[in-house]
Amino acid sequence: MDTLIVSLLNGTIYGLLLFMVSAGLTLIFGMMGVLNFAHASFYMLGAYFAYSLGDVLGFWLALVAATVLVGFVGVVVERFFLRRVHHHGHAHELLLTFGLSFIIAELIKLFFGNYPVNYRVPASLDFSAFTIGVANYPVYRVFMGAVAVAMFVVIYLLLTRTRVGIVVRSAIYRPHMAEALGHNVPLVFMSVFGVGAALAGLAGAVAGAFYTTNPNMALELGVMVFVVVVVGGLGSLEGAMLASLLIGVITSLAVSIDASLADLMAVFGARELAQSIGGLLTLKLSSLAATLPFALMLLVLLVRPSGLMGEKA
Amino acid sequence: MSETILSLRGLKKSFGPTEIIRGVDLELRADERHALIGPNGAGKSTLFHLISGNLKPTAGEIVFQGQRIDGLSPQAINRQGLARSFQITNIFPKLCVFENLRLAVMRSHGLQYNFWRFIDSNRRLLEQTERLLEQVRLQGKARQLAAELAYSEQRSLEIAMTLACDPQVILLDEPMAGMSNEETAYTAELIGEVTRGRALFIVEHDMQVVFSISDRISVLVYGQVIATGTPAEIRENAAVKEAYLGEEVAA
Amino acid sequence: MRTRTSILLSLGLGLLILLALPWLLSMGLLNAAIQMLIAALFASAYNVVCGQAGMLSFGHAAYFGVGAFATVHAMNALGGAGIVPTPLLPLAGALGGLLVGAIAGWFSTQRTGTYFAMITLAIAELLHAIAPHLKSVFGGEAGVSSMRMPSMGLTFGSTTEVYFLTLAWVLVSLLLLFLYTRTPLGRLALGLRENRHRLAFLGYDTHKLGVLVFSVSAMFSGIAGGLQVINNEAANYVLFESGLSAAAVLNTYIGGVGIFLGPALGAALMTFFGYAVSDLTQSWLLYQGLLFVLVMMFMPQGIAGLIGTTAALWRRCGLWRLLPVMVSFGGAAFLLANGTAFTVETLRVLFSRDYRALLSTDPAVAWPPVTLYGVDWAPGALLTWVTPLLLLVVGGVLVKIARRQLQTLNDQPAKDTP
Repeated sequence: MDTLIVSLLNGTIYGLLLFMVSAGLTLIFGMMGVLNFAHASFYMLGAYFAYSLGDVLGFWLALVAATVLVGFVGVVVERFFLRRVHHHGHAHELLLTFGLSFIIAELIKLFFGNYPVNYRVPASLDFSAFTIGVANYPVYRVFMGAVAVAMFVVIYLLLTRTRVGIVVRSAIYRPHMAEALGHNVPLVFMSVFGVGAALAGLAGAVAGAFYTTNPNMALELGVMVFVVVVVGGLGSLEGAMLASLLIGVITSLAVSIDASLADLMAVFGARELAQSIGGLLTLKLSSLAATLPFALMLLVLLVRPSGLMGEKA
Repeated sequence: MSETILSLRGLKKSFGPTEIIRGVDLELRADERHALIGPNGAGKSTLFHLISGNLKPTAGEIVFQGQRIDGLSPQAINRQGLARSFQITNIFPKLCVFENLRLAVMRSHGLQYNFWRFIDSNRRLLEQTERLLEQVRLQGKARQLAAELAYSEQRSLEIAMTLACDPQVILLDEPMAGMSNEETAYTAELIGEVTRGRALFIVEHDMQVVFSISDRISVLVYGQVIATGTPAEIRENAAVKEAYLGEEVAA
Repeated sequence: MRTRTSILLSLGLGLLILLALPWLLSMGLLNAAIQMLIAALFASAYNVVCGQAGMLSFGHAAYFGVGAFATVHAMNALGGAGIVPTPLLPLAGALGGLLVGAIAGWFSTQRTGTYFAMITLAIAELLHAIAPHLKSVFGGEAGVSSMRMPSMGLTFGSTTEVYFLTLAWVLVSLLLLFLYTRTPLGRLALGLRENRHRLAFLGYDTHKLGVLVFSVSAMFSGIAGGLQVINNEAANYVLFESGLSAAAVLNTYIGGVGIFLGPALGAALMTFFGYAVSDLTQSWLLYQGLLFVLVMMFMPQGIAGLIGTTAALWRRCGLWRLLPVMVSFGGAAFLLANGTAFTVETLRVLFSRDYRALLSTDPAVAWPPVTLYGVDWAPGALLTWVTPLLLLVVGGVLVKIARRQLQTLNDQPAKDTP
């Protein structure tokens, strides 16, 4: 029972982390129609910046500095790269961001080496928040969850309750009209892109200390984020939250289950049959945990192609 | 009086709380030329989208040759024999004009999944494509990229692609937009020629064209048809005059 | 038509050179040539969905990998004799690629554009995640190995024999792919790229079309995978890694998607460079990424497109007028490439573990020099940083000059007009 609760909590927090990164991605896509392949690279940059600045500025300031720096990188990417190829179409922009993600990963390997770096949870946060049964639940996990929830609330309020939010939403739906009304739409695009990048950077700076910080972070998380947006529906913030939590919890619970389909078939007395067939039937669910999100994605595509909360295509 | 080939019954379409089409009843006869006119925003393009399968109606029926087609996919509707052109030119920009037309003609030759024959060796396909090209006076531009054509030439290409599959019902959405007087006159004649024996449903703003080529005209205002009749009847109709034609009726 | 004869002549010449390679190259280079051929086929197969049908797939390594595993199992099961002799083994790869491609294509082509790209990526990652666990199929960490069996009088033991086998398969496949573009389905694929929406209104089932095109692409990717296995005599689940899919994307666009042999050219060049400079630098992937981004931003028609444009300009303006422009651009490229390489290599050394181990803890002692181009550069010296900067700046200026020259050339009338 305790392991179940711990798994649930871990899964929720991992899901919230996924949300932190996919929120920015979904916003940028909703606004510019381009999927930013380099979004997970911003996440990775946040972790590495925070790591490098940690010794100089201390953990908390490094978090802030890393977030701002990544936001700045985002602005540069939009202004000097994306804007140039905008007229070639979405496919072109997608390819460009793909190339940029490639370059960012290689640059990180250049400066930091092709192995993980020692970015650790600061001593000030390295204690347990509470105990569940015999397990100590680390405060840092709670911290990560809190940051993600705060992010959701802030973005939601910003978009729906403030004037800036209305301008951004109008630029998303009717950029020409918004421009005709006097709003500086290119500036809006640049700012949203920068903010989206900064959010991913913050997520990286926070998560990198807990999980490993290595040059493959972007790829590992990036694919998950894509699954989140397909499952949740591209453009939907609520969908991203729902899908992130779903995937986080499912993966986390699966890892703790050592049963396989053969065990299930044992209930019907067919264990020998299953074991003689072998292959997928005898694989433990815990080994398959990493593949469950993809299976979920394919299922959603079959049953509800526009995503759980996306608009009907 | 020929039979009805396409009928709209109680057709409604809302986008969220906004009702664009508020209950349209309309009958299109098998060989008539029927124009749809109305002020901007009346819902004419929306009606076309509903008939051709681009949108699903919120309520009501669309019956084509005795079968309901509302809610079917665009390709299914096209296969039944209903083709449409688009108000915003919808061609294959980086392919040449010849290729554009050939793609449109190909399907009626049943070639869509064919990967074992050379397309250039199909004589009938070639001849039919060239015939269509000549009909819309684009044979000189056959090898030019479609995106590089003048706007009115692109509109002609658009019409040719719509005709390519030999449909029984043709929907033309503002085919003459952007054309000069001479081009408009030629295209009006062309449309008259190729729609002989077919049903034509046309949205146009050029009143001269509308009144000269139509057998009947329907007037759509705020998502409802306020009048249907021959050109003479529509010209005399008080409600139409008030809502749409106003003072600028050209005799 | 002079263009057509010149194209046919160049192709013929290329074919002759390819046939003569085993006598012109060392064994090591011949091996590289085999890799280049396989990469060229993979990129051409990839272009079927990407450049022709406009569907950006980011997970094409899946079909290459499936083809590889299908072939290696066929090698083990059938022993190279009987119904499927060794030379025909890539057929197993084709079959594997086709089957998995059809299933994957059915899912992916339900959506278009960005969604499609994400789904293809996720499918490849799914295979990559599940493969190590299905040990009977994918052989776990060690992979599955096999041996080429003698067949049809040849032992297939030497690199030369493998080279000719690979060459034959690649040439036949490329020919088939070219002929495919002349079929109705091949032309419809272009329609999918240009205006999928309109195709539906012309009565086509765009989903089915997408699945068919995807399957064709996957089938030939499977053949490439099979050829890889015949060469390496082993298949491992790392074939499903994203690096291979990324390579397909980069090679194809660098080569140029608009021309049939563009992707093959890009793949051959990139594979060759990767092989040639792998001893000199660890940053090859970074250079490739930079080249890709530069191509996407400034030269979207790719290298093949560039060759085509140059040939057209040559015909239009004559060699003498073209030469200065070519020299300027060539010089600029040389300077920029060297400036970039200088910077990257210096940084690579300065940030590497080995170098940092060399640094003494005493801040007064100067840092050890970095060796580049046979010269020692001291990290503290101004020259070390000014040199690459100068190269880049002069290169940039030269680019501007070259562009202006090109503009003048384009504005001038063709040489044959009075």
